[in-house]
Amino acid sequence: MPEEENKNSEAKLRSIIATIDVANALTAPLTLSIENLLKISAAEINSEEASVLIRDGDAGDLLFLAAIGKVAEHLKTLKIPSGKGIAGFVFSSGQPMALTDVGEEDTFYAAVDQQTGYSTQTILAAPLRHDGEIIGVLEYVNRIGEPPFEPFTSAEMDKVALFAEAIASLVNAYESAKLFRDLSDKMLSQPEKMRFEEVREWLQDLRETTEHKEMLDLAVVVREIAGRGANERRLCKEVLESILRYSEDNAETSFLSS
Amino acid sequence: MTTVSAYESNENSTISTYFQIDDTWKMATGKGVSIAVVDSGIDTTHADLQGKVKQSVEARADHKRVVFEPSEVGDSAGHGTACASIISRIAPDAEFGSIKVLGASGLGDGIAFLAGLEYAVKNKYQIINLSLGTTKPQFFSPLHDLLDRAYQAGCIVVAAANNLPQPSFPSVFSSSLISVSKHEDSDPFNFGFRYGEVIELTAPGVNIRTAWLNNSHKSLTGNSFACPHIVGVIALLLEKHPELTPFQVKSALYAIAQENQDKKKLAEAAKQNDSQDKILR
Repeated sequence: MPEEENKNSEAKLRSIIATIDVANALTAPLTLSIENLLKISAAEINSEEASVLIRDGDAGDLLFLAAIGKVAEHLKTLKIPSGKGIAGFVFSSGQPMALTDVGEEDTFYAAVDQQTGYSTQTILAAPLRHDGEIIGVLEYVNRIGEPPFEPFTSAEMDKVALFAEAIASLVNAYESAKLFRDLSDKMLSQPEKMRFEEVREWLQDLRETTEHKEMLDLAVVVREIAGRGANERRLCKEVLESILRYSEDNAETSFLSS
Repeated sequence: MTTVSAYESNENSTISTYFQIDDTWKMATGKGVSIAVVDSGIDTTHADLQGKVKQSVEARADHKRVVFEPSEVGDSAGHGTACASIISRIAPDAEFGSIKVLGASGLGDGIAFLAGLEYAVKNKYQIINLSLGTTKPQFFSPLHDLLDRAYQAGCIVVAAANNLPQPSFPSVFSSSLISVSKHEDSDPFNFGFRYGEVIELTAPGVNIRTAWLNNSHKSLTGNSFACPHIVGVIALLLEKHPELTPFQVKSALYAIAQENQDKKKLAEAAKQNDSQDKILR
Protein backbone atom coordinates (compact mmCIF):
# COMPACT_ATOMS: atom_id res chain seq x y z
CA MET A 1 0.00 0.00 0.00
CA PRO A 2 1.50 3.36 -0.96
CA GLU A 3 2.48 5.63 1.94
CA GLU A 4 0.06 8.38 0.93
CA GLU A 5 -2.89 6.01 0.99
CA ASN A 6 -1.90 4.87 4.49
CA LYS A 7 -1.83 8.45 5.70
CA ASN A 8 -5.27 9.03 4.19
CA SER A 9 -6.68 5.99 5.95
CA GLU A 10 -5.19 7.08 9.22
CA ALA A 11 -6.64 10.56 8.84
CA LYS A 12 -10.06 9.11 8.05
CA LEU A 13 -9.94 6.83 11.08
CA ARG A 14 -8.91 9.71 13.33
CA SER A 15 -11.83 11.73 12.05
CA ILE A 16 -14.25 8.88 12.69
CA ILE A 17 -12.84 8.26 16.17
CA ALA A 18 -13.52 11.91 16.95
CA THR A 19 -17.17 11.29 16.05
CA ILE A 20 -17.19 8.08 18.08
CA ASP A 21 -16.13 10.08 21.12
CA VAL A 22 -19.34 12.06 20.77
CA ALA A 23 -21.39 8.86 20.82
CA ASN A 24 -19.35 7.56 23.73
CA ALA A 25 -20.09 10.69 25.71
CA LEU A 26 -23.79 10.17 25.02
CA THR A 27 -23.92 6.65 26.53
CA ALA A 28 -23.42 7.48 30.21
CA PRO A 29 -26.12 10.19 30.40
CA LEU A 30 -28.53 7.77 28.70
CA THR A 31 -28.16 5.07 31.36
CA LEU A 32 -28.49 7.76 34.01
CA SER A 33 -31.70 9.03 32.36
CA ILE A 34 -33.05 5.46 32.22
CA GLU A 35 -32.34 5.03 35.95
CA ASN A 36 -34.02 8.37 36.69
CA LEU A 37 -37.10 7.28 34.76
CA LEU A 38 -37.03 3.98 36.64
CA LYS A 39 -37.04 5.87 39.96
CA ILE A 40 -39.92 8.11 38.90
CA SER A 41 -42.00 5.27 37.51
CA ALA A 42 -41.31 2.96 40.48
CA ALA A 43 -42.44 5.68 42.89
CA GLU A 44 -45.53 6.23 40.73
CA ILE A 45 -46.63 2.60 41.06
CA ASN A 46 -45.34 2.13 44.62
CA SER A 47 -42.74 -0.46 43.67
CA GLU A 48 -39.49 -1.28 45.42
CA GLU A 49 -37.23 -2.61 42.69
CA ALA A 50 -37.20 -1.71 39.00
CA SER A 51 -34.98 -2.74 36.15
CA VAL A 52 -34.48 -2.58 32.41
CA LEU A 53 -33.30 -5.70 30.62
CA ILE A 54 -31.91 -5.76 27.10
CA ARG A 55 -30.95 -8.45 24.64
CA ASP A 56 -27.53 -9.99 25.08
CA GLY A 57 -26.40 -11.70 21.90
CA ASP A 58 -28.48 -13.44 19.25
CA ALA A 59 -29.80 -16.29 21.41
CA GLY A 60 -32.35 -14.06 23.12
CA ASP A 61 -30.64 -13.97 26.53
CA LEU A 62 -31.24 -10.86 28.60
CA LEU A 63 -28.96 -8.75 30.78
CA PHE A 64 -29.72 -5.90 33.16
CA LEU A 65 -28.88 -2.54 31.60
CA ALA A 66 -30.17 -0.46 34.52
CA ALA A 67 -31.66 -1.23 37.91
CA ILE A 68 -32.72 0.54 41.07
CA GLY A 69 -33.35 -0.86 44.54
CA LYS A 70 -31.64 -2.90 47.23
CA VAL A 71 -30.03 -5.47 44.93
CA ALA A 72 -29.54 -3.26 41.87
CA GLU A 73 -25.79 -3.68 41.67
CA HIS A 74 -26.01 -7.45 42.05
CA LEU A 75 -28.68 -7.69 39.34
CA LYS A 76 -26.40 -5.92 36.88
CA THR A 77 -24.04 -8.89 37.08
CA LEU A 78 -26.74 -11.45 36.19
CA LYS A 79 -28.01 -12.76 32.90
CA ILE A 80 -31.39 -14.28 32.14
CA PRO A 81 -31.30 -17.20 29.69
CA SER A 82 -33.62 -17.04 26.67
CA GLY A 83 -37.30 -17.53 27.53
CA LYS A 84 -36.71 -17.90 31.28
CA GLY A 85 -38.73 -16.12 33.92
CA ILE A 86 -41.41 -13.52 33.33
CA ALA A 87 -38.93 -11.15 31.69
CA GLY A 88 -37.91 -13.86 29.22
CA PHE A 89 -41.52 -14.56 28.36
CA VAL A 90 -42.46 -10.90 27.96
CA PHE A 91 -39.43 -10.39 25.73
CA SER A 92 -40.34 -13.27 23.44
CA SER A 93 -44.11 -12.73 23.42
CA GLY A 94 -44.43 -8.95 23.56
CA GLN A 95 -47.29 -9.25 26.04
CA PRO A 96 -47.14 -7.28 29.28
CA MET A 97 -48.16 -9.18 32.39
CA ALA A 98 -48.26 -9.06 36.18
CA LEU A 99 -47.84 -12.03 38.47
CA THR A 100 -48.26 -12.53 42.20
CA ASP A 101 -47.30 -15.45 44.45
CA VAL A 102 -44.05 -16.02 42.60
CA GLY A 103 -43.28 -18.61 45.26
CA GLU A 104 -40.47 -21.06 45.78
CA GLU A 105 -41.82 -23.59 43.31
CA ASP A 106 -40.85 -21.21 40.51
CA THR A 107 -37.35 -22.58 40.09
CA PHE A 108 -36.10 -19.71 37.97
CA TYR A 109 -36.90 -16.95 40.47
CA ALA A 110 -35.82 -19.15 43.38
CA ALA A 111 -32.37 -19.38 41.76
CA VAL A 112 -32.16 -15.63 41.13
CA ASP A 113 -33.28 -14.87 44.69
CA GLN A 114 -30.69 -17.26 46.05
CA GLN A 115 -27.98 -15.33 44.25
CA THR A 116 -29.20 -11.87 45.27
CA GLY A 117 -30.54 -12.68 48.73
CA TYR A 118 -33.81 -11.04 47.74
CA SER A 119 -37.36 -12.41 47.92
CA THR A 120 -39.35 -11.94 44.70
CA GLN A 121 -43.07 -12.04 45.44
CA THR A 122 -44.88 -9.95 42.87
CA ILE A 123 -43.78 -8.83 39.40
CA LEU A 124 -45.02 -6.47 36.69
CA ALA A 125 -43.25 -6.65 33.33
CA ALA A 126 -43.82 -4.83 30.03
CA PRO A 127 -42.00 -5.09 26.71
CA LEU A 128 -39.88 -2.23 25.41
CA ARG A 129 -40.59 -1.68 21.74
CA HIS A 130 -38.96 0.48 19.13
CA ASP A 131 -40.15 0.54 15.51
CA GLY A 132 -42.16 -2.62 16.09
CA GLU A 133 -39.17 -4.55 17.44
CA ILE A 134 -38.95 -5.71 21.03
CA ILE A 135 -35.66 -4.36 22.33
CA GLY A 136 -35.99 -5.11 26.04
CA VAL A 137 -38.17 -5.52 29.09
CA LEU A 138 -39.18 -3.14 31.86
CA GLU A 139 -39.73 -4.97 35.13
CA TYR A 140 -40.94 -3.96 38.60
CA VAL A 141 -40.62 -6.27 41.61
CA ASN A 142 -42.47 -6.07 44.96
CA ARG A 143 -44.03 -3.07 46.70
CA ILE A 144 -42.55 -0.48 49.02
CA GLY A 145 -42.96 -1.66 52.62
CA GLU A 146 -43.36 -5.04 54.21
CA PRO A 147 -44.92 -8.20 52.73
CA PRO A 148 -47.50 -9.45 51.98
CA PHE A 149 -47.61 -7.16 48.96
CA GLU A 150 -50.73 -6.01 47.13
CA PRO A 151 -50.79 -7.25 43.51
CA PHE A 152 -50.03 -4.70 40.78
CA THR A 153 -53.29 -3.27 39.45
CA SER A 154 -54.67 -2.97 35.96
CA ALA A 155 -54.32 0.84 36.11
CA GLU A 156 -50.66 0.50 37.13
CA MET A 157 -50.07 -1.82 34.21
CA ASP A 158 -51.50 0.80 31.84
CA LYS A 159 -49.36 3.50 33.46
CA VAL A 160 -46.23 1.38 33.05
CA ALA A 161 -47.02 1.03 29.34
CA LEU A 162 -46.54 4.78 28.97
CA PHE A 163 -43.23 4.74 30.86
CA ALA A 164 -42.18 1.79 28.70
CA GLU A 165 -42.55 3.90 25.57
CA ALA A 166 -40.28 6.64 26.94
CA ILE A 167 -37.72 4.19 28.28
CA ALA A 168 -37.70 2.28 24.98
CA SER A 169 -36.61 5.46 23.16
CA LEU A 170 -33.73 5.87 25.58
CA VAL A 171 -32.75 2.21 25.31
CA ASN A 172 -32.73 2.48 21.54
CA ALA A 173 -30.51 5.57 21.72
CA TYR A 174 -28.26 3.70 24.15
CA GLU A 175 -27.98 0.71 21.80
CA SER A 176 -26.97 2.96 18.90
CA ALA A 177 -24.41 4.81 20.97
CA LYS A 178 -23.07 1.53 22.37
CA LEU A 179 -22.30 0.26 18.88
CA PHE A 180 -19.90 3.12 18.37
CA ARG A 181 -18.52 2.86 21.88
CA ASP A 182 -17.75 -0.85 21.51
CA LEU A 183 -16.07 -0.34 18.20
CA SER A 184 -14.05 2.51 19.61
CA ASP A 185 -12.98 0.38 22.59
CA LYS A 186 -11.91 -2.42 20.29
CA MET A 187 -9.91 -0.13 18.05
CA LEU A 188 -8.12 1.59 20.89
CA SER A 189 -7.46 -1.42 23.11
CA GLN A 190 -6.50 -4.14 20.64
CA PRO A 191 -5.13 -2.51 17.53
CA GLU A 192 -2.84 -5.48 16.87
CA LYS A 193 -5.77 -7.94 16.75
CA MET A 194 -7.93 -5.74 14.59
CA ARG A 195 -8.54 -6.75 11.02
CA PHE A 196 -7.68 -3.30 9.86
CA GLU A 197 -8.88 -3.55 6.27
CA GLU A 198 -12.24 -4.97 7.25
CA VAL A 199 -12.93 -2.32 9.85
CA ARG A 200 -11.73 0.42 7.58
CA GLU A 201 -14.13 -0.67 4.84
CA TRP A 202 -16.99 -0.94 7.30
CA LEU A 203 -16.32 2.51 8.68
CA GLN A 204 -15.97 3.91 5.20
CA ASP A 205 -19.35 2.47 4.19
CA LEU A 206 -20.92 3.75 7.36
CA ARG A 207 -19.48 7.16 6.92
CA GLU A 208 -20.78 7.36 3.39
CA THR A 209 -24.34 6.55 4.45
CA THR A 210 -26.15 9.88 4.35
CA GLU A 211 -28.66 8.92 7.05
CA HIS A 212 -25.92 7.97 9.53
CA LYS A 213 -23.96 11.09 8.85
CA GLU A 214 -27.02 13.29 9.26
CA MET A 215 -27.99 11.55 12.49
CA LEU A 216 -24.52 11.96 13.94
CA ASP A 217 -24.45 15.62 12.91
CA LEU A 218 -27.81 16.08 14.61
CA ALA A 219 -26.56 14.34 17.77
CA VAL A 220 -23.54 16.67 17.84
CA VAL A 221 -25.75 19.77 17.49
CA VAL A 222 -28.19 18.60 20.18
CA ARG A 223 -25.34 17.79 22.53
CA GLU A 224 -23.82 21.21 22.03
CA ILE A 225 -27.14 22.95 22.69
CA ALA A 226 -27.75 20.75 25.74
CA GLY A 227 -24.44 21.88 27.20
CA ARG A 228 -25.30 25.58 26.96
CA GLY A 229 -27.90 25.71 29.74
CA ALA A 230 -31.42 24.88 30.89
CA ASN A 231 -33.15 27.54 28.72
CA GLU A 232 -31.41 26.30 25.60
CA ARG A 233 -32.37 22.69 26.44
CA ARG A 234 -36.04 23.64 26.88
CA LEU A 235 -36.12 25.65 23.66
CA CYS A 236 -34.40 22.84 21.75
CA LYS A 237 -36.92 20.31 23.08
CA GLU A 238 -39.87 22.54 22.11
CA VAL A 239 -38.53 23.07 18.60
CA LEU A 240 -37.91 19.34 18.10
CA GLU A 241 -41.36 18.46 19.43
CA SER A 242 -43.01 20.99 17.13
CA ILE A 243 -41.21 19.35 14.19
CA LEU A 244 -42.61 16.00 15.33
CA ARG A 245 -46.14 17.43 15.53
CA TYR A 246 -45.75 18.95 12.06
CA SER A 247 -44.55 15.60 10.73
CA GLU A 248 -47.48 13.72 12.33
CA ASP A 249 -50.06 16.23 11.04
CA ASN A 250 -48.81 15.67 7.52
CA ALA A 251 -48.92 11.87 7.73
CA GLU A 252 -51.36 10.04 5.46
CA THR A 253 -54.49 9.15 7.36
CA SER A 254 -56.91 8.55 4.54
CA PHE A 255 -56.70 7.34 0.98
CA LEU A 256 -60.13 8.68 0.02
CA SER A 257 -60.32 11.81 -2.09
CA SER A 258 -62.04 14.60 -0.21
CA MET B 1 -83.30 -15.50 25.99
CA THR B 2 -80.92 -13.61 23.73
CA THR B 3 -82.18 -12.85 20.24
CA VAL B 4 -79.47 -12.19 17.70
CA SER B 5 -80.29 -10.42 14.47
CA ALA B 6 -77.41 -10.93 12.16
CA TYR B 7 -79.06 -9.08 9.26
CA GLU B 8 -82.26 -7.03 9.04
CA SER B 9 -84.64 -9.07 6.91
CA ASN B 10 -86.78 -7.36 4.29
CA GLU B 11 -89.34 -8.49 1.74
CA ASN B 12 -86.70 -8.91 -0.98
CA SER B 13 -84.53 -11.12 1.17
CA THR B 14 -85.03 -14.83 1.52
CA ILE B 15 -82.16 -15.29 3.97
CA SER B 16 -83.19 -16.56 7.34
CA THR B 17 -81.52 -13.92 9.43
CA TYR B 18 -82.52 -14.47 13.01
CA PHE B 19 -81.37 -17.03 15.52
CA GLN B 20 -82.10 -17.29 19.17
CA ILE B 21 -79.78 -18.29 21.97
CA ASP B 22 -81.32 -19.15 25.29
CA ASP B 23 -79.25 -19.17 28.45
CA THR B 24 -78.78 -22.97 28.39
CA TRP B 25 -75.39 -22.37 26.73
CA LYS B 26 -74.15 -21.34 30.16
CA MET B 27 -74.74 -24.94 31.31
CA ALA B 28 -72.64 -26.39 28.48
CA THR B 29 -69.13 -27.76 29.07
CA GLY B 30 -67.50 -27.27 25.67
CA LYS B 31 -67.86 -30.99 24.84
CA GLY B 32 -66.73 -31.81 21.31
CA VAL B 33 -65.24 -28.36 20.72
CA SER B 34 -61.59 -28.16 19.62
CA ILE B 35 -59.41 -25.26 20.73
CA ALA B 36 -55.89 -24.41 19.61
CA VAL B 37 -53.69 -22.47 22.03
CA VAL B 38 -50.90 -20.82 20.02
CA ASP B 39 -48.46 -19.94 22.77
CA SER B 40 -45.54 -21.19 24.89
CA GLY B 41 -46.93 -24.76 25.02
CA ILE B 42 -49.20 -26.44 27.57
CA ASP B 43 -48.02 -28.45 30.56
CA THR B 44 -50.05 -31.62 29.96
CA THR B 45 -49.04 -33.05 33.34
CA HIS B 46 -50.64 -30.23 35.32
CA ALA B 47 -53.49 -31.55 37.46
CA ASP B 48 -55.89 -28.96 35.98
CA LEU B 49 -55.25 -30.09 32.41
CA GLN B 50 -54.58 -33.81 32.52
CA GLY B 51 -56.21 -35.70 29.64
CA LYS B 52 -57.46 -32.53 27.96
CA VAL B 53 -54.64 -31.84 25.53
CA LYS B 54 -55.14 -34.02 22.44
CA GLN B 55 -52.25 -32.70 20.39
CA SER B 56 -48.97 -31.01 21.30
CA VAL B 57 -46.71 -29.68 18.57
CA GLU B 58 -43.86 -27.22 18.51
CA ALA B 59 -42.30 -25.03 15.86
CA ARG B 60 -38.88 -25.81 14.47
CA ALA B 61 -36.92 -23.78 11.97
CA ASP B 62 -36.46 -25.53 8.62
CA HIS B 63 -34.27 -23.15 6.59
CA LYS B 64 -36.47 -20.09 6.22
CA ARG B 65 -39.71 -21.96 6.83
CA VAL B 66 -41.28 -23.55 9.88
CA VAL B 67 -42.25 -27.15 10.53
CA PHE B 68 -44.33 -28.45 13.41
CA GLU B 69 -43.30 -31.63 15.17
CA PRO B 70 -44.79 -33.51 18.12
CA SER B 71 -43.69 -31.81 21.33
CA GLU B 72 -42.58 -33.49 24.53
CA VAL B 73 -41.37 -30.37 26.32
CA GLY B 74 -44.72 -29.09 27.57
CA ASP B 75 -44.60 -25.41 28.46
CA SER B 76 -41.39 -23.40 28.56
CA ALA B 77 -42.81 -20.29 30.23
CA GLY B 78 -46.12 -21.04 31.97
CA HIS B 79 -48.18 -18.64 29.87
CA GLY B 80 -49.78 -21.22 27.55
CA THR B 81 -50.65 -23.43 30.52
CA ALA B 82 -52.25 -20.42 32.26
CA CYS B 83 -54.38 -19.60 29.18
CA ALA B 84 -55.48 -23.24 28.73
CA SER B 85 -56.45 -23.51 32.40
CA ILE B 86 -58.69 -20.43 32.16
CA ILE B 87 -60.46 -21.89 29.12
CA SER B 88 -60.75 -25.26 30.82
CA ARG B 89 -62.32 -23.75 33.93
CA ILE B 90 -65.14 -22.36 31.77
CA ALA B 91 -65.33 -25.22 29.25
CA PRO B 92 -63.99 -28.30 31.14
CA ASP B 93 -64.83 -30.80 28.38
CA ALA B 94 -63.24 -28.87 25.52
CA GLU B 95 -60.30 -30.50 23.73
CA PHE B 96 -57.00 -28.67 23.38
CA GLY B 97 -54.28 -28.50 20.81
CA SER B 98 -51.03 -27.00 22.07
CA ILE B 99 -49.19 -25.18 19.30
CA LYS B 100 -45.91 -24.06 20.79
CA VAL B 101 -44.42 -21.10 18.96
CA LEU B 102 -42.44 -19.42 21.73
CA GLY B 103 -39.04 -20.63 22.76
CA ALA B 104 -38.13 -22.19 19.41
CA SER B 105 -34.53 -21.33 18.69
CA GLY B 106 -33.58 -20.01 15.29
CA LEU B 107 -37.00 -18.51 14.59
CA GLY B 108 -38.02 -14.90 14.59
CA ASP B 109 -40.96 -14.38 16.93
CA GLY B 110 -43.34 -13.17 14.22
CA ILE B 111 -42.56 -16.00 11.78
CA ALA B 112 -43.23 -18.79 14.30
CA PHE B 113 -46.36 -17.02 15.46
CA LEU B 114 -47.78 -16.74 11.93
CA ALA B 115 -46.85 -20.33 11.16
CA GLY B 116 -48.60 -21.47 14.35
CA LEU B 117 -51.77 -19.67 13.36
CA GLU B 118 -51.59 -21.19 9.87
CA TYR B 119 -51.10 -24.65 11.37
CA ALA B 120 -54.19 -24.22 13.57
CA VAL B 121 -56.30 -23.10 10.60
CA LYS B 122 -55.08 -25.96 8.40
CA ASN B 123 -55.87 -28.44 11.16
CA LYS B 124 -59.39 -27.02 11.42
CA TYR B 125 -59.45 -26.09 15.07
CA GLN B 126 -62.83 -24.50 15.78
CA ILE B 127 -61.43 -21.81 18.07
CA ILE B 128 -57.90 -20.38 18.14
CA ASN B 129 -56.58 -18.61 21.25
CA LEU B 130 -53.97 -15.98 20.37
CA SER B 131 -52.82 -14.36 23.58
CA LEU B 132 -49.81 -13.12 21.62
CA GLY B 133 -49.25 -10.45 19.03
CA THR B 134 -46.65 -8.62 17.02
CA THR B 135 -46.07 -4.96 16.24
CA LYS B 136 -43.71 -5.63 13.35
CA PRO B 137 -45.09 -3.79 10.32
CA GLN B 138 -43.80 -6.44 7.89
CA PHE B 139 -46.27 -8.97 9.34
CA PHE B 140 -49.32 -6.75 8.92
CA SER B 141 -50.22 -7.93 5.44
CA PRO B 142 -49.53 -11.70 5.76
CA LEU B 143 -51.36 -11.81 9.08
CA HIS B 144 -54.34 -10.05 7.57
CA ASP B 145 -54.40 -12.56 4.73
CA LEU B 146 -54.11 -15.49 7.13
CA LEU B 147 -56.96 -14.23 9.29
CA ASP B 148 -59.17 -13.87 6.25
CA ARG B 149 -58.42 -17.49 5.39
CA ALA B 150 -59.30 -18.51 8.97
CA TYR B 151 -62.55 -16.60 8.73
CA GLN B 152 -63.46 -18.24 5.43
CA ALA B 153 -62.60 -21.67 6.87
CA GLY B 154 -64.96 -21.02 9.80
CA CYS B 155 -62.20 -20.89 12.46
CA ILE B 156 -62.94 -18.41 15.21
CA VAL B 157 -59.79 -16.51 16.10
CA VAL B 158 -59.70 -14.68 19.42
CA ALA B 159 -56.75 -12.35 20.07
CA ALA B 160 -55.52 -10.41 23.09
CA ALA B 161 -54.91 -6.70 22.69
CA ASN B 162 -51.71 -5.36 24.12
CA ASN B 163 -52.08 -2.40 26.45
CA LEU B 164 -49.17 -0.50 25.00
CA PRO B 165 -49.44 2.74 23.05
CA GLN B 166 -48.40 0.97 19.81
CA PRO B 167 -51.13 -1.10 18.13
CA SER B 168 -50.35 -4.81 17.91
CA PHE B 169 -51.41 -7.25 15.23
CA PRO B 170 -53.70 -9.08 14.91
CA SER B 171 -55.82 -7.56 17.69
CA VAL B 172 -56.43 -4.38 15.66
CA PHE B 173 -57.98 -6.32 12.75
CA SER B 174 -61.58 -6.03 13.82
CA SER B 175 -63.38 -7.65 10.91
CA SER B 176 -61.94 -11.18 10.78
CA LEU B 177 -61.33 -11.91 14.44
CA ILE B 178 -62.50 -11.21 17.95
CA SER B 179 -60.18 -8.97 19.99
CA VAL B 180 -60.23 -8.74 23.77
CA SER B 181 -58.83 -6.50 26.50
CA LYS B 182 -59.03 -6.91 30.28
CA HIS B 183 -61.54 -5.53 32.75
CA GLU B 184 -61.76 -5.82 36.54
CA ASP B 185 -64.96 -7.90 36.84
CA SER B 186 -64.27 -11.57 37.54
CA ASP B 187 -67.47 -13.18 36.18
CA PRO B 188 -66.59 -14.82 32.83
CA PHE B 189 -70.18 -14.51 31.60
CA ASN B 190 -70.34 -10.82 32.40
CA PHE B 191 -68.16 -9.72 29.49
CA GLY B 192 -68.54 -6.39 27.73
CA PHE B 193 -68.72 -5.24 24.11
CA ARG B 194 -67.49 -1.80 23.09
CA TYR B 195 -69.09 -1.35 19.69
CA GLY B 196 -67.06 0.96 17.46
CA GLU B 197 -63.84 0.55 19.44
CA VAL B 198 -60.80 -1.14 17.89
CA ILE B 199 -60.70 -3.70 20.70
CA GLU B 200 -64.35 -4.65 20.98
CA LEU B 201 -64.63 -7.10 23.85
CA THR B 202 -63.68 -6.80 27.50
CA ALA B 203 -63.39 -9.80 29.83
CA PRO B 204 -61.80 -10.70 33.19
CA GLY B 205 -58.04 -10.14 33.14
CA VAL B 206 -57.09 -8.85 36.57
CA ASN B 207 -55.70 -11.14 39.29
CA ILE B 208 -56.87 -14.29 37.56
CA ARG B 209 -55.99 -17.51 39.35
CA THR B 210 -54.42 -19.86 36.80
CA ALA B 211 -52.40 -23.02 36.47
CA TRP B 212 -48.63 -22.48 36.18
CA LEU B 213 -45.43 -24.46 35.82
CA ASN B 214 -44.51 -27.28 38.22
CA ASN B 215 -48.13 -28.05 39.07
CA SER B 216 -48.51 -24.65 40.78
CA HIS B 217 -51.01 -21.79 40.51
CA LYS B 218 -50.49 -18.04 40.14
CA SER B 219 -52.54 -14.85 40.11
CA LEU B 220 -52.01 -13.09 36.80
CA THR B 221 -53.01 -9.77 35.26
CA GLY B 222 -52.97 -8.88 31.56
CA ASN B 223 -54.98 -8.86 28.37
CA SER B 224 -53.43 -12.27 27.69
CA PHE B 225 -55.75 -13.70 30.33
CA ALA B 226 -58.89 -11.87 29.16
CA CYS B 227 -58.63 -13.57 25.76
CA PRO B 228 -59.05 -17.18 27.04
CA HIS B 229 -62.16 -16.15 28.99
CA ILE B 230 -63.87 -15.27 25.72
CA VAL B 231 -62.53 -18.47 24.12
CA GLY B 232 -64.16 -20.45 26.93
CA VAL B 233 -67.48 -18.67 26.42
CA ILE B 234 -67.37 -19.34 22.66
CA ALA B 235 -66.67 -23.04 23.34
CA LEU B 236 -69.91 -23.22 25.33
CA LEU B 237 -71.83 -21.41 22.58
CA LEU B 238 -70.41 -23.74 19.92
CA GLU B 239 -71.32 -26.87 21.84
CA LYS B 240 -74.94 -25.73 21.91
CA HIS B 241 -74.90 -24.16 18.45
CA PRO B 242 -72.21 -25.86 16.36
CA GLU B 243 -73.66 -24.32 13.20
CA LEU B 244 -72.65 -20.77 14.16
CA THR B 245 -70.27 -18.99 11.78
CA PRO B 246 -67.55 -16.63 13.06
CA PHE B 247 -69.76 -13.69 12.11
CA GLN B 248 -72.72 -15.13 14.02
CA VAL B 249 -70.57 -15.88 17.07
CA LYS B 250 -69.49 -12.25 17.16
CA SER B 251 -73.09 -11.12 16.79
CA ALA B 252 -74.11 -13.45 19.63
CA LEU B 253 -71.33 -12.10 21.86
CA TYR B 254 -72.50 -8.58 21.08
CA ALA B 255 -76.11 -9.43 21.92
CA ILE B 256 -75.15 -11.19 25.19
CA ALA B 257 -72.90 -8.30 26.19
CA GLN B 258 -75.74 -5.85 25.49
CA GLU B 259 -77.97 -7.91 27.74
CA ASN B 260 -75.25 -7.90 30.43
CA GLN B 261 -75.05 -4.13 30.16
CA ASP B 262 -78.85 -3.71 30.36
CA LYS B 263 -78.96 -5.90 33.46
CA LYS B 264 -76.18 -3.85 35.05
CA LYS B 265 -78.01 -0.59 34.30
CA LEU B 266 -81.27 -1.96 35.76
CA ALA B 267 -79.43 -3.13 38.89
CA GLU B 268 -77.77 0.28 39.29
CA ALA B 269 -81.11 2.09 38.83
CA ALA B 270 -82.79 -0.19 41.38
CA LYS B 271 -79.95 0.47 43.84
CA GLN B 272 -80.30 4.21 43.32
CA ASN B 273 -84.10 4.07 43.84
CA ASP B 274 -83.56 2.02 46.95
CA SER B 275 -81.15 4.54 48.47
CA GLN B 276 -83.51 7.43 47.56
CA ASP B 277 -86.41 5.60 49.26
CA LYS B 278 -84.29 5.22 52.38
CA ILE B 279 -83.54 8.95 52.43
CA LEU B 280 -87.26 9.84 51.98
CA ARG B 281 -88.33 7.47 54.76
